[in-house]
Amino acid sequence: MGSALENYVNQVRTLSASASYRELADELPESLSLLARNWSILDNVLETLDMQQHTLGVLYVLLAKLHSSSTANPEPVQLIHLMRDFVQRNNTDQLRFAVCAFYETCHLFSDFLVQKGMSVLGIRILSRAIDQIRQMDTQLTPIHADLCLLSLKAKNFSVVIPYLDADITDISTVAAECKTQQQQPNQHTDANNDAKYFLLYYYYGGMIYTALKNYERALYFFEVCITTPAMAMSHIMLEAYKKFLMVSLIVEGKIAFIPKNTQVIGRFMKPMANHYHDLVNVYANSSSEELRIIILKYSEAFTRDNNMGLAKQVATSLYKRNIQRLTKTFLTLSLSDVASRVQLSSAAEAERYILNMIKSGEIYASINQKDGMVLFKDDPEKYNSPDMFLNVQTNISQVLELVKQINKMEEEIILNPLYVKKALGSQDDDLTSQHPKTFSGDPTD
Amino acid sequence: MHSNKYEDLLERLEGEEFEQFELGADVYQQLLAIYLYQNKLANAKLLWMRIPDKLKDDKELNQLNLLNLALQHNNYADFFRNIKYDWSERVRAPIEDLLVKQREELFNLMGSAYVSIYQQNLLELSQMSEDELKKTCTALNWSEELDGDRVILKPKYREAASSRSNDDQLLKLTEFVTFLEN
Repeated sequence: MGSALENYVNQVRTLSASASYRELADELPESLSLLARNWSILDNVLETLDMQQHTLGVLYVLLAKLHSSSTANPEPVQLIHLMRDFVQRNNTDQLRFAVCAFYETCHLFSDFLVQKGMSVLGIRILSRAIDQIRQMDTQLTPIHADLCLLSLKAKNFSVVIPYLDADITDISTVAAECKTQQQQPNQHTDANNDAKYFLLYYYYGGMIYTALKNYERALYFFEVCITTPAMAMSHIMLEAYKKFLMVSLIVEGKIAFIPKNTQVIGRFMKPMANHYHDLVNVYANSSSEELRIIILKYSEAFTRDNNMGLAKQVATSLYKRNIQRLTKTFLTLSLSDVASRVQLSSAAEAERYILNMIKSGEIYASINQKDGMVLFKDDPEKYNSPDMFLNVQTNISQVLELVKQINKMEEEIILNPLYVKKALGSQDDDLTSQHPKTFSGDPTD
Repeated sequence: MHSNKYEDLLERLEGEEFEQFELGADVYQQLLAIYLYQNKLANAKLLWMRIPDKLKDDKELNQLNLLNLALQHNNYADFFRNIKYDWSERVRAPIEDLLVKQREELFNLMGSAYVSIYQQNLLELSQMSEDELKKTCTALNWSEELDGDRVILKPKYREAASSRSNDDQLLKLTEFVTFLEN
């Protein structure tokens, strides 16, 4: 056994020395099971390798350590230190030859941390890993999903938010990586999980934004997740769909627009999200009392789906929406009238809701405590203040950036030889097929 | 007031949370205080959720969390009641700043949301003594009226001051014009 490991070390050293990383990356996966079997002496192997020079060799030792973690039960602190050292000192150029193995290492590492309840310690490590391996800031990697998972588990979002805020323009998947490196996808680089990590990223991302009450962005993330083209339904999509329905009630008061090309929703998801559709229907009646009853009725299901907190937010949003609706019909109203119209228990509670809504800028009103009346006003914004100017400015610069980005991407597509070939080919088809039509279609000829 | 006053400290503390294995209550106290001061209520709420159970007996942490809850629920009376506490050296500075900030916010909000408010109610909300409140109201130029034997305050709406310079705006405008011309 010992000699086999010696062979491994020698192989790594010789090939790394002659910079034959390609060859090394092709051969190392075969040693993985050998390494995992010898988990007890892997630390000795690590001592003979240098993270900077033998990045690939160390990577596979790490992978083997994580693979054998269920039997070997390694010291978590030691493993975390090892990973931290690795992402800080490895050689990114070498790492590029074994992207898939690196992804898998990160997946196993985050699973391991979640099991041990030490998620918070992996956040910085994975964020560094993403920075190393992605080719541009707007590229999505499978590690993103792991980072989101750890952040959710640790309830700490300060690191992950910048990643979520970046709009994705490119996706790095295991399948694509294997293709560029001309490797056959084997058991260690399972390309079937690409879709899983993509969906998970958007599902977790939506949950993170929901927790931070950035509902618009959350809605977008859930929408991406449920509108991903698919033949069959993933359960990640189903859970995202349930949350999508609730968040769209909070944001828009009805089901947000869903693009037409998503048959999966109608065929599979709707029947399995019955309770949620009932909730949407009741919400449309604008009766807080009915909504309260139905939430109570389905509370078991909502709690099972971990959506109870969101259901309560939905209930609050209906009170607010009803108050907002009052501002459209009335100029003044007594506080007790407000309370009875939106089914709040007392005038004092209505006053509290109104005060909070004034504070957050959802309505414009002033309360007169002397005679217990509310005076609803129009939006006082005259679009002539410097603040509004600033607001318009930021919006314009965002749009400018977007235009630039679209132009750039369009240029890339137009210059793509495959596209050119296809576009020209179909034009020829169009010409031949359209000719007879123009004659028969025009009766004046 | 500069909101990035505690930015450096915050960065260091957040870093510690990611790197250290066992954290003491003091790190969490300072983090919570700064989040509250910066009005990052979602962060404060999540922070409280991730504080290990064994540290949750800490008295000062609990007091901070009372502030946190009051702010979450927009409950001014609770907030000003609970902020009267003998804070330790570590968190005193951000808490004092927070108090000033919340007072200012309360009176701004009252100014925009109320045409008239009973003095008694405002005393309850702000937890100030009658003299203090009188002083603040005179400074803000609010008028008083009597309704029977109860005092009604009539707030005046104040225009918010602009914080941008003209040069900045001109620069931006030039940028847009160049974009449109190209």
